[in-house]
Amino acid sequence: MTEAIQHHLAAAVRRHLGPPGEVRDLVRLTGGATKATWSFDAVVGGDTLPLILQQTPAERLAAGGGREALAIHGARDAALLHAARDAGVPAPRVRIVLAPDDELGEGTVTDRVAGETLGRKIAGDARFAAVRPRLAAQCGAILAAIHRIDARGLDFLPRHAPADQLAMFRALADACDHPLPAVELGLRWVAEHLPPAPRTTVVHGDFRNGNLIVGDDGVRCVLDWELAHLGDPMLDLGWLCVKTWRFGGPLPVGGFGHRDDLFAAYERAGGGPDDPSHVRFWEAFGCIKWALMSMQKGLGDLGAVPGARRSVEAVAIGRRIEEPLLDFLDLITAKAN
Amino acid sequence: MPASKPDATALLDAAIDYLERELSPTLTGYHRFQLRVTTNVLAQVRRELALAPAQADAERTRLVALLGHPGTRDELSRELAARIRAGDVSLYDPALLEHLRLSLVEALRINNPKWLDTSGPAG
Repeated sequence: MTEAIQHHLAAAVRRHLGPPGEVRDLVRLTGGATKATWSFDAVVGGDTLPLILQQTPAERLAAGGGREALAIHGARDAALLHAARDAGVPAPRVRIVLAPDDELGEGTVTDRVAGETLGRKIAGDARFAAVRPRLAAQCGAILAAIHRIDARGLDFLPRHAPADQLAMFRALADACDHPLPAVELGLRWVAEHLPPAPRTTVVHGDFRNGNLIVGDDGVRCVLDWELAHLGDPMLDLGWLCVKTWRFGGPLPVGGFGHRDDLFAAYERAGGGPDDPSHVRFWEAFGCIKWALMSMQKGLGDLGAVPGARRSVEAVAIGRRIEEPLLDFLDLITAKAN
Repeated sequence: MPASKPDATALLDAAIDYLERELSPTLTGYHRFQLRVTTNVLAQVRRELALAPAQADAERTRLVALLGHPGTRDELSRELAARIRAGDVSLYDPALLEHLRLSLVEALRINNPKWLDTSGPAG
């Protein structure tokens, strides 16, 4: 598979960025289970550019499936990242939007930003001990910028009120046809606690430790914008605090920081006032969402691809359902930090 | 038919040992990560073989007590899910919450025992 990607990628680099378009050090990266991510260097003119390819292969797109409704590909991805950078968000800079002629499916080539993405290392390694105390405040300021993104021109973003989010995950639970009492309890709790959403903004949708590039100076880049939508901005703050994304770290914000630092920086950067119980709602709902996303990975429809089989990563994620469900019980019975 | 020996646990132990100690050091990047996921999955199967039968009995006993009639574990669990969904039970019923917590804790003893180290106090 690597040779085919290498061949098409070199042609795409030549076509979009210029000759000679040589591709070096092409490596498939771990993580990003929904689409393939590759790291490579491209020689263009006299320069060597460090780049990232993210692509959804054409056969995966043809298979369709429930997640397609959530996915934003190619040109839309580029438009969103561009608008995010205009708002001051450290989002990836897009170099190429893949075209059908590129024969790489749908996706983009972006600049590669140096740094760490593995949540476990960011939350726990001694190497990041000095920067960890600054990360929660940086996340607050970045989230305030995300929630200021100008949505004009981004009319492809779906609009999800809190009730729409509940309906989506209710439907996902029904599609999996594996009714669990703890999931049903969670969905009912969410239905009975739906908050009014006084503001509607661009929402990242998957803003968490593991989707951030972190260096010695802090957060350098925000990745994985596929779940972006128009909705309740407090969703992003709550999701960042879900225990799964603490990667074993002791602190509630991404395993690295304090809620007060996150909220104060968010307000200072113009993000508006926070209601901690509103953020808690999204953290609790986030646990149920992650449980159902895990269930879908392990049990969901594989689509119409002939011979498709679940990857070992997918079945392993399928067995992570109980982690967030126990976290949810801790949250609603006030046993969590 | 007598149970085959070496038993399933011994087979898994040997397979995990080979993958972790011999194969893993020869791999890097994507395949090393996938191998770690694979050995984790095999370890889950190993723990399930040891723990699941007793857990299923205990869960069924709790469900019978909660719902007030007999049945298989899976039937009763589906019924409880349906009752919760229909709003027939209070979300904060202590017996219900206790049952759900115990069931999740038992599943985590198979799927990821480390998760229990950082969870709120059980019960």
